Amino acid sequence: MANPSVFLLMVSGQIESAEFPEFDDIYCKYCFSYGLDWAITSGLDESITQITKKSRDEHQRFVWNFPIDATFKSTSPSGWPQLVVYAYGLDAFGTDVVRGYGVCHIPITPGRHRLRLPMFVPESSSLLQKLTAWFLGRRPEYVNPRVVAQGEGREVTRVRTQGFLTVSFNIIMKDMKKLGYDILPSDLQNPTIPAGVAGTDAAKAS
Amino acid sequence: MAEVHVIGQIIGASGFPDHSLFCKWGIHSGGGWKILSGLREGQTQVDNPQSEDAAYFAHPIDIHFATKGIQGWPRMHFQVWHQDAFGRNELYGYGFVHLPTSPGQHDIDCPTWRPTGTFMESVSQFFLGGGPHLKNPDLIYSGADRYKLQTIAMGKIHLRIGIILRNFDKFGIEC
Repeated sequence: MANPSVFLLMVSGQIESAEFPEFDDIYCKYCFSYGLDWAITSGLDESITQITKKSRDEHQRFVWNFPIDATFKSTSPSGWPQLVVYAYGLDAFGTDVVRGYGVCHIPITPGRHRLRLPMFVPESSSLLQKLTAWFLGRRPEYVNPRVVAQGEGREVTRVRTQGFLTVSFNIIMKDMKKLGYDILPSDLQNPTIPAGVAGTDAAKAS
Repeated sequence: MAEVHVIGQIIGASGFPDHSLFCKWGIHSGGGWKILSGLREGQTQVDNPQSEDAAYFAHPIDIHFATKGIQGWPRMHFQVWHQDAFGRNELYGYGFVHLPTSPGQHDIDCPTWRPTGTFMESVSQFFLGGGPHLKNPDLIYSGADRYKLQTIAMGKIHLRIGIILRNFDKFGIEC
């Protein structure tokens, strides 16, 4: 069989729950941000959850239990996909305002992972802007939510972390080892020494 | 050529006197290492968190190295700065970690320190801010002239770094 040139990454998981101490009536959207080498082969690139209220007990949790399913293919791990979640809520006047952006890389090792993402919003630059934003319901938000998945240009933003979101992932990969990529530490009890490593021929000769 | 992919995040920082923080980071590697894609340094957003016990940056790191040897394994160094309500920046700490050498996901806590001056300087630092900085930032990740410094401990930076290696087993490297 010909050597594979792409590897596959399958993500199945869910946006489980969140804590936002000061807010109620929140829904989330998510999208994936990935580099140029990557492509989605199946599953949704973006989606929206339901609107939920917080629980009436002392935990005050929002629960969505919203499924995430996607399969990616790529030729190189650069630009590894990131999950960008952005939560919206209703303010006192009934308009949609953003309550938090959160981002994390899809885990790089197979198995089950549970992550707690801090959710932050951009802050207005002055007190007057904060007051007008509160009145008019036009809080600062990112024009393109994928900007939180990048490292450039972040140094000019001021944000406020307002809550936390819990996501869980189950990761399966195909053909990473065939392309030469190691994602787990080498097993010295059962070493796999590739043909062509110096020393194996000498051992065979003797 | 062996390749190393660093895929992860600077999650945040905790344990500092105040948590309106940002972090400047950079990666220093030996001469045989080359960056094929990704940024070698950057600065995170400024976080002013609602709950005052930690600041969160969520700054993504995605770097692809190629190398001919394992000498000079990359180190990531940090400067944590505090931004107050007036927009003034004050140094809170320096720290560095080596990038993990084994593939997989790693949760790392990087401790930080800050240079201290004389007693009078620390009194004026308490009232006015400011304080000594390193003249040469290389000292953050090298041990060469450290014996000349007096420092005090500050908080920790939290990282979640994933490492993917390629072709290391072809060269007989076990990691």
